[in-house]
Amino acid sequence: MTDSRPILNVWGAELSYGRRKILRGIDLTLRPGEIYALLGPNGSGKTTLIHAICGRMKLSKGDIALEGQNPWSTPVCRAALGLVPQDIALYNHMTVAENLQTFGRLAGVKGKALRDAVARAIHLCRIADRENEPIGRLSGGYRRRVNIACAILHSPRLLVLDEPMVGVDPDAREALDGVIRDLRDTGVCVLMITHDLDQAGDLADRVGFLREGRKVMEGSPRHLITQAFGEELEILVQLDEDPDSGDEIVLAGAGLERRGKTNIWTTLDAGGYATAGKLDATLRKAGVTPREIRVRQPSLHNLFTLVADWQDAA
Amino acid sequence: MMFAMFRVMLLRLLRDRGALAMTFLLPPLVFVIFATVFAGSTGENIKLKLVIADQARTPASGRLVEALLQDGRLRGLTADPNTAKTVRRQVRAGKADAGLIILSDPAGSGTPFLIVTDTTRAMAAPMTQGRIQAALSERLPDIMLEKTLGMVEPVFAPLSAGQKNQAKAIVDMVHDDAKAGRAVPAAQDLFATEAISGAGKGRGAIAYYAGAVTILFALFSAVNAAMTLIEERRAGVADRILAGAAGMVPALNGKFLFIVLQTVLQACAIFFVAQLIYDVQVRSHLLPWLATSVCVGVCAGGMALGVVALTRTRDQAQLVSTFLILLLAAVGGSMVPRFLMPPWLQTLGFFTPHAWAIDAYQALLWRDAEWTSLYPAWGVLVGTGLAGLLLAHVMARLVRR
Repeated sequence: MTDSRPILNVWGAELSYGRRKILRGIDLTLRPGEIYALLGPNGSGKTTLIHAICGRMKLSKGDIALEGQNPWSTPVCRAALGLVPQDIALYNHMTVAENLQTFGRLAGVKGKALRDAVARAIHLCRIADRENEPIGRLSGGYRRRVNIACAILHSPRLLVLDEPMVGVDPDAREALDGVIRDLRDTGVCVLMITHDLDQAGDLADRVGFLREGRKVMEGSPRHLITQAFGEELEILVQLDEDPDSGDEIVLAGAGLERRGKTNIWTTLDAGGYATAGKLDATLRKAGVTPREIRVRQPSLHNLFTLVADWQDAA
Repeated sequence: MMFAMFRVMLLRLLRDRGALAMTFLLPPLVFVIFATVFAGSTGENIKLKLVIADQARTPASGRLVEALLQDGRLRGLTADPNTAKTVRRQVRAGKADAGLIILSDPAGSGTPFLIVTDTTRAMAAPMTQGRIQAALSERLPDIMLEKTLGMVEPVFAPLSAGQKNQAKAIVDMVHDDAKAGRAVPAAQDLFATEAISGAGKGRGAIAYYAGAVTILFALFSAVNAAMTLIEERRAGVADRILAGAAGMVPALNGKFLFIVLQTVLQACAIFFVAQLIYDVQVRSHLLPWLATSVCVGVCAGGMALGVVALTRTRDQAQLVSTFLILLLAAVGGSMVPRFLMPPWLQTLGFFTPHAWAIDAYQALLWRDAEWTSLYPAWGVLVGTGLAGLLLAHVMARLVRR
């Protein structure tokens, strides 16, 4: 039976650099066998919170309990934690197996336990075919998998992943998603920082939005999206090329907003397909020809934008 | 855990041919160059380059020039054209170490020789003087005898015609003996020399430079190894290690252990060459030599880790460590022997590990010093190393923030 007691508790975490408040009272509870994605723009306090959880920073106020102990004052409890840094934190002059053995030993695993742990990590992260290759010869996706494998050798109960998908192509990303799910299924709690909202939406059991050091929203992605958007659907209009200023006026007039720097314009509307049809006709009449119009459930992207708008308005 | 990091460092070195060459090939090579230069400069092997202008052009002056040109301990050459100006020009241009202008007949009265030297080569004048005196007494003893008679006669009493003929006969006989290469009483040295130890000439300087090169390269290689701290910080490996229960302690100790071993192996390479080529007696002093090398390794490891831990980037670490190593090497005697330094600089040298390391190696390999006399040097080296290691640990705790 899986132990459902929290592996991590954060109560009212506050942290300041001089006068600047980085964390402003964050609460967080993580249980074994769940994937939790910490989302938020740059400077929202995600990395600082992770550093505090890893025992590298002392909170100004509040407390953290990793398996019941504070990771800053009781470093031994950090044995329950595995960190996968954002960079490929491996020794390039060594092979995959040598890296695994090294990080296993550095985590205090030795002898037969180390051999078993290496075999298990290789199996879980699906890297058996490249076991004896130097890291320098591996593709980005494989390196990411080895990066994760090196963090699970001591069987941590909490695995912290900092931007695990940076520089990974779609195929490798799918493989990595599988690895993370498999780890979750073995009872590991995965805490993930990511800017990749699609990945967070697909993978995470729960997400938490941080903004300016506060947790502004938390829950399962589906629940949060339903709560925020109700019956509304997202309509995406994709253009062939950059619209000129006249086209932009037309698109904005139709209630569409550009998504980042892409050629995709979106809106949320409960009318769904009917509204999409009307939009198509309106745009064509005004001389703007969409390449594609899609209708889909709102995603974390929409939620993220919505949260940002709320906060800005507040 | 510590040995895991030791293995990482070892594999890093073994798989990098450039680093291997820098660590184990370059130091013995540099040592051989230093030894070749300085072993000669401290003994009788300096071959002074002497340019000679014979303005007297007498038979005696001609014989002296010939004697000097044939002297194997000199590299003599005649000025062309045979003028004082040529001699001065060649010495000023550094084409000769010293110049000799023969102003008048060496057998005559007055001061027949003028030695021309550059002040930057202070040793050249007395050495030239010594060589000329040696040439005169070995190859021109009749001239010396004649000059002596000339000085003695006015002091005591004028010689009778018969005595003068007898003296002339003796002078001619000495001349003939010298020409035939027979031993001449006047040519006998007044001084005999005795080496303070049974070892061959110049070996003290070689032991000195073996020590000097060892501590110099130990620090360079140690800094290179310690730089992995910065690489690990940049790559996120340090984050991974710091998140573990043991933190950076075993990783730092593993690096330290590796640097100590690397230094001992490097010292092996240097002193193996010293024993092989220059017969420096390492084998007969193996244990104290090994202990000294371990102390040098502890010092290099601790210092390198401490210095690198204080810096944030590779560029910073490179700059600070190069500055520090070269400065300490210059003051501590790794570049120029300390006995050539002014007293205040020699005293200052004792604030560098270089001076202690060099003294320890030289004491045990050259002066056959007792173990007990090495304790202060070992103490300073180990103390410096442990202080550096402690600093690295403190900095590792601070950077976890």
